[in-house]
Amino acid sequence: MKEGFRQAMAWLHTWTGLIFGWLLFAIFLTGTLSYFKEEINHWSQPEVRRHALDPVNSLGLAQRYLEANAAHAGSWMIRLPNAREAALSVSWRDPEAGRRGFVSKSLDAQTGQPVEARDSRGGEFFYRFHFQLEMPYPFGRWLSTFCAFIMLVGLVTGIITHKKIFKEFFTFRPGKGQRSWLDGHNAIGVLVLPFHLMISYSSLVLFMYMVMPAGILASYSGNTGDYFNELFGRDDPPKAANVATPLVPLPTLYAKVQEQLPGARIGYIQLHNPGDSNAQVTFTQASADNIAYKRSAKWTFDGTNGALLSQGAPESGAMATAFSFAGLHMGNFASPWLRWLYFVFGVAGTAVIGTGLVMWLGKRQLKHAKSEHMPSELRLVEVLNIASMSGLLLAVAGFFWANRLVPVALEGRADWEVNAFFLAWLLSLVHAVLRPGRRAWGEQLALGALAFALLPLVNGLTTGQGLDHSLQVGDWAMAGFDLTALAVGLFLAWAASTMLRAPKPVAKRASRAAKKPTADVVEVG
Amino acid sequence: MLGIALIGFAGFAALCLAMEKHFSDLLGCKPRPQQVRLLRVAGWLLLMLSLVLSVHLRGWGHGLVEWIAVLMAGVTLWVFVLPYQPRLLLGLAAASLVLGPLLAVLAG
Repeated sequence: MKEGFRQAMAWLHTWTGLIFGWLLFAIFLTGTLSYFKEEINHWSQPEVRRHALDPVNSLGLAQRYLEANAAHAGSWMIRLPNAREAALSVSWRDPEAGRRGFVSKSLDAQTGQPVEARDSRGGEFFYRFHFQLEMPYPFGRWLSTFCAFIMLVGLVTGIITHKKIFKEFFTFRPGKGQRSWLDGHNAIGVLVLPFHLMISYSSLVLFMYMVMPAGILASYSGNTGDYFNELFGRDDPPKAANVATPLVPLPTLYAKVQEQLPGARIGYIQLHNPGDSNAQVTFTQASADNIAYKRSAKWTFDGTNGALLSQGAPESGAMATAFSFAGLHMGNFASPWLRWLYFVFGVAGTAVIGTGLVMWLGKRQLKHAKSEHMPSELRLVEVLNIASMSGLLLAVAGFFWANRLVPVALEGRADWEVNAFFLAWLLSLVHAVLRPGRRAWGEQLALGALAFALLPLVNGLTTGQGLDHSLQVGDWAMAGFDLTALAVGLFLAWAASTMLRAPKPVAKRASRAAKKPTADVVEVG
Repeated sequence: MLGIALIGFAGFAALCLAMEKHFSDLLGCKPRPQQVRLLRVAGWLLLMLSLVLSVHLRGWGHGLVEWIAVLMAGVTLWVFVLPYQPRLLLGLAAASLVLGPLLAVLAG
């Protein structure tokens, strides 16, 4: 009975892992990149210059700009620059342009003048892809949430299947073919398990309103908007009185927030009816200040006399739990070194999925090592493995190359970056179909190595903000991006050279494996 | 936090050496039963110490999160570098035993 259970779990692990592995790999990789969303944004829009942070001055600049350019708008939004975001962002709703008339500007934090930055989705693209998969709402969210559930299933079934979880806790034996892949898969899975479990479970918590909507629908009579308003403590905005009244200087309100919570960093400021006698200003604390999302960290003022009207409602226990998971998942609170660890663990999660996919195929290829042709279903898996892994890396590189090479003045250039991403992905699929497996791997990895390793050079040539410049002025986000690209290039070059050079040891391994199958390799799958 | 990371790293190294297979692989001789017991107790104590220090220095929220993060990073480094550079890692573990508490004291 017990062995039967373990076998069943191994079966589930193997097949859900295969079917959803390709998509999960992409979700994990783009999610990992999203930990550096702001840094990627900075690289993608090098025109936005970084200045020393001065929230009071920035607020004054934002107010002056909005009063001059958006006095007619019914609401404003201001995002202050922070350690990771250089721009002072202002946005407003243009009443003449209908419901969708949302205008956004990036201002220079020192001069308050709009920065004409290149049109790019930057890190936002990977962040959105991570949970929306470029699919129409709500299908992308549904699919990625389901993938998160499969990941959780994969982790639990993996733990059950892994017999020697403690005995082989510290075990990694390289250079032994399938054995090493399994060791690597198990070790990364087990050693980074707290992260894997947190990230998959918290995805379900983040989207629980989609996964388990019944309670919300029943309690709010189908009106989910009310649920979110109550959850996040949002009130309906006040109606405009149409009596022109000057807006209180925002820096004075900032000082009042500092009295309430000394040292609080401010994320964004929302204004309703600016310049009206019913003006209202809400300051929200930066998400970097707390691990958990906090609806209480919010202060609403009367925009005409600066009186504190209300503070965000405290969280209930259940809310605090869910908000903690949300905060842990997104890691907005993470300091630079912890952010790097988040990135490393994200790569580890991606690697668990990747090694799993490689093993599924490797194990089955052994059985056909002697025959001339691989069965077509195995060939299909091989092609999809190559396209979904090395192909995705090429797609990411394609996005960044497009960011530097597509003319800045081109209409719809942000879309061209996205097109470059998918075009590179598609071409890698075609390439994987046309070339034999190992060659396809090697060639794509080699191309990826070149593409990533040359990114710093392309950056330097096209923007003049290459490593020589960024290291000198201490622009660590820019330098970090370039150095990471270089490191990725070197890693891919190493991977490509092992793929292209090594003689095919498959036949040898097949005979050995046929004689003495190791228990674990046979068991899974 | 580096001090806490190093203490946790040394803790995992001790727990690894407390396993007969790894002990004989790394040190070239079979461990005596007292050695195994000593290493196991020392390993767990070091992990506990790093947890206590982390919570003490960084509070429950950040302390727990960062403790888990540095522990995962340390043990992953240990397991994946061990086959290639066993002597380096043993040296690093020994150095962590001294440097870890030192840095933690300086940070506190």
